[in-house]
Amino acid sequence: MNNKNDMSAYHNKYIPSIIKWGRATNLIGVLIAFLPGLVCTAVYGLKPQVAAVIGGFILVASSEAVFWIVEPISYFPTLGIPGTYMSFLSGNISNLRLPVSLASQTAAEVEPGTEKGTVITAIGIGVSVIVNILILTFGVILGSSILSLIPESVINALTNIVPALFGALFAQNVVSRPKTGIVAIVLACGIMILNMLGLLGWVPGDPTYVIMIVCVFGTILIGRKIEASDMEKAKEAE
Amino acid sequence: MEYLKIANGFWLWVACGLGVAWVVFQSVLFLIKSIKVSKEIGITKTQVNSAVKTSIVATIGPSLGVLVGMVALLVSMGGPVSWFRLSYIGSVAYEMFAAEIGAQAGGGALGANMSATAFATGVWVMTLGALGSILITALFTDKMGKLENIMAGGRKEMLPIIAGCAMCGTFSYLCMDRVFRFNSQTTAALSGFIIMAVLNIWNKKLNKKWIRNWSFTISMFAGMLISIVA
Repeated sequence: MNNKNDMSAYHNKYIPSIIKWGRATNLIGVLIAFLPGLVCTAVYGLKPQVAAVIGGFILVASSEAVFWIVEPISYFPTLGIPGTYMSFLSGNISNLRLPVSLASQTAAEVEPGTEKGTVITAIGIGVSVIVNILILTFGVILGSSILSLIPESVINALTNIVPALFGALFAQNVVSRPKTGIVAIVLACGIMILNMLGLLGWVPGDPTYVIMIVCVFGTILIGRKIEASDMEKAKEAE
Repeated sequence: MEYLKIANGFWLWVACGLGVAWVVFQSVLFLIKSIKVSKEIGITKTQVNSAVKTSIVATIGPSLGVLVGMVALLVSMGGPVSWFRLSYIGSVAYEMFAAEIGAQAGGGALGANMSATAFATGVWVMTLGALGSILITALFTDKMGKLENIMAGGRKEMLPIIAGCAMCGTFSYLCMDRVFRFNSQTTAALSGFIIMAVLNIWNKKLNKKWIRNWSFTISMFAGMLISIVA
């Protein structure tokens, strides 16, 4: 069986159907997001002032709006098409969906950016959405009175799982592509030190998005050159 | 009127339950489609199973983190809205921030004593502020695939390189962002990094399956333990 035929189901059926359903579920998701607000206003008669809502929205948007565009584009190569639809509907992207994407592709031994990698990521993220909802549902049933009894040491420990997870997953990247890994470390440290020194003050708003763009796209630009030339050399050596 | 009665009211549970059900619906639908196509493109059952197992492990730890982060939101915004917002679009940091701004704009401060109107303003602001990226992804995700192809110069063999470099840059950002906080998170990120790197390099020679399967879980929990003991 040749390789092209193998992937025809992916390109001709799977991805078109994911795009059709992904677009529909996320657009309907936008409408559903309004339900709690509508219930507050229509059922319980709470009528917040329109000016207050708009004012609050502008304040939130002034720090968030740039991420509406930067996050989907930066995370897309990691999440793939199905993973992007699911991640942005379900949220918790950096602490849950990105780690799950990398971890499940590594466990299944598939290469990121390939058809198989995209499908494995979609499976991993789908499972993670359901597990996260089960855990949160359990938490809401327990209620705040029980959750607030959890000792502070346990809370601190649980808060530190995510940074340890980020460290571990980044190490995996660095070990599997050392040259690009070093480029990524240098770029991240460089831009973060510039930020600490206050040298990103000219950037409109919170400069976090600039840090993110430099880390992700800087690594793509430089890493691509390095790895492409390594690939050529490997070919010539053959 | 006591706003917490409304915040934990029946109809709010219904509205939020519908939202949570919608996310579950999308995930189940995509899972079915993905598992079906996985057979057709030659992914083995073992590969799918290990992806599922790893995903569960990688989700439980951070999800418990979300759970404890949820307490503050639960106290002020009530059960249904907190449950909904953290299963749908949101993250703890964003929701606290948006709820606070909304409550203030509604003439209160986020907390168990705010007015019902401040609560409702919070709900509306949280909703509106979170719609940007979901709209962008609904409309443009298919085009992002084309953008990635352009970055690869139209060469298919370059796509895995682009994705690999993007991942590397993404996790470099996420990891260094914690390292540069100079608190126990710094220790957690660095310990997780070192343990994983050692296990991975060690395993390049040994090539043991159990190390590959468990190195990630071991580094995550060991990094966390070191950070609270240190």
